[in-house]
Amino acid sequence: MIPALLWQILFLYLPLVFIIFVSFLKDIDYLVVGNLSLQHYTDLLKPIYLKIWGRSLSLAFFTSTLCLAIAYPVAYFLVFRIKRMRNLLLFLLVLPFWANFLVLVYAWFFVLEQGGILNSFLLNLGIISEPLRILNTQFAVYLVMLFCFLPFMVMPIYSSMEKINKSIFEASFDLGANRWQTLTRIIMPLSSSGIRTGFFLVFIPAFGEFVVPLLLGGGKTMYVGSLISFLFLETKSIEWGAAFTCVSGIILIVAVFALNKLLKTIFGKERV
Amino acid sequence: MKPVRTAASYSLPIFVLLAYLLMYVPIVVLIFYSFNGGQTPHQWEGFSLVWYRELFASVEILDALRNSLIVAFSSVVLSVVMGLFFVFYSARTVLQNFLFLFYGSLAAPEVVLAVGLLSFFAFFSIPLGLTTLIAAHTLVGLSYVTPILYSSFKGLDYRITEASLDLGATEWQTFTKVIVPMLSPAIMGASLLVFIISFDDFILSFFCSGASTMTLPMYIFATIRSGATPVINALSTLLLVMSSLAVLVFTLFRVRTRVF
Repeated sequence: MIPALLWQILFLYLPLVFIIFVSFLKDIDYLVVGNLSLQHYTDLLKPIYLKIWGRSLSLAFFTSTLCLAIAYPVAYFLVFRIKRMRNLLLFLLVLPFWANFLVLVYAWFFVLEQGGILNSFLLNLGIISEPLRILNTQFAVYLVMLFCFLPFMVMPIYSSMEKINKSIFEASFDLGANRWQTLTRIIMPLSSSGIRTGFFLVFIPAFGEFVVPLLLGGGKTMYVGSLISFLFLETKSIEWGAAFTCVSGIILIVAVFALNKLLKTIFGKERV
Repeated sequence: MKPVRTAASYSLPIFVLLAYLLMYVPIVVLIFYSFNGGQTPHQWEGFSLVWYRELFASVEILDALRNSLIVAFSSVVLSVVMGLFFVFYSARTVLQNFLFLFYGSLAAPEVVLAVGLLSFFAFFSIPLGLTTLIAAHTLVGLSYVTPILYSSFKGLDYRITEASLDLGATEWQTFTKVIVPMLSPAIMGASLLVFIISFDDFILSFFCSGASTMTLPMYIFATIRSGATPVINALSTLLLVMSSLAVLVFTLFRVRTRVF
């Protein structure tokens, strides 16, 4: 029974404690009390770092909000509106969830590059006269984040909607509610746990994401994940990277708690 | 009475269709271009299987594939065996209250786990390589496996365990001859899940594998960064086929592995 717990403690909790500890060290090579300092934290109080946190928060927030805006109608349609094609559509929805994330990201190059299908499509329609530069822009980063994280939003919403008894619609209509009222006052509160699970399944990894900004954003704009990997892998400034990681973690925790409250007030709580 | 079809009643199906299109157009184009004969990855020059042949001739790719398979199989075995032990021996003891510890690695961004592990390994001068990679993937694997196995074990009638013990089986016999066979659907599902997660993982591998060890996702990443070759199209297509087979296995065997 012990090995599994030990593994978690040894490779997860101990390293996390270690990171927190290291962030207070001037130099990782000397583990003496005189070596303790807050210097790395005070160094972080510069506008450039605040900008990076702001950028990642905005990326995470917009990715998860847009994912929700697309995923909710899709899940609703699959659960309540169709019967015949449901298994096929569900399969197509689950597939990207299991597919290699890098493959999904790479597939977007065919669409977004200079001679890609989006540019040829727009050129043929005569909307633009010259190919647009879409790769290496923030637009590309947001777009690809949205579609690569979509499966993580749809699945939990689908599971929570599937549990809703369908006769609830008749009950709601019989009692005089219209479609919109049924959706916002009945269906949304009943699926709100799925909404929140999906939101954080997207928000948390999106906050630390560095692969998509690196590959599709040209790597020139720093995000939280990019700076962490830069500090640990390129410059090997572990103490400083640790401090940045700790503050990022705290920001993430605060954001998750605040958003959880917000989502609960918007979509209602389940009262079952 | 049939509901009246208005423009508004078509807006939802059209919206859903568009969402699927945007999700799948890139993937379909990628698969299409994997059969391209030309030298550039994104310029159509006629049908050919040359890049699939190239794929299986590339030492680098086969090496990365071997590493990925070693890591994935090892983390499946380690996490499933440890998860089973935890579930069987800790249920009904005070230890089951520590199940929440397994959710830790799901709640933090992967990059945080990765740098934690990296600095931990660096501090104790543990050389990075396949071993550190297996340790990292097993950590994530355990956080999926243990809750899945725990809930299926709780779903079993505990009197079965009691009956087995009453009839003279030892604890170990009960575990191997009664509980493990009864949990086999959950074990199958959890194993497949961990295999795919490990096989597809990029971030942990990127940090914890060192310079010499390359897995398949790391190879894909490096190639995209340095300018993709058409081999990547063929490789990506094969990986997509593999994922669809995994999904099919899941749906056919109706394995229940709800993590959320």
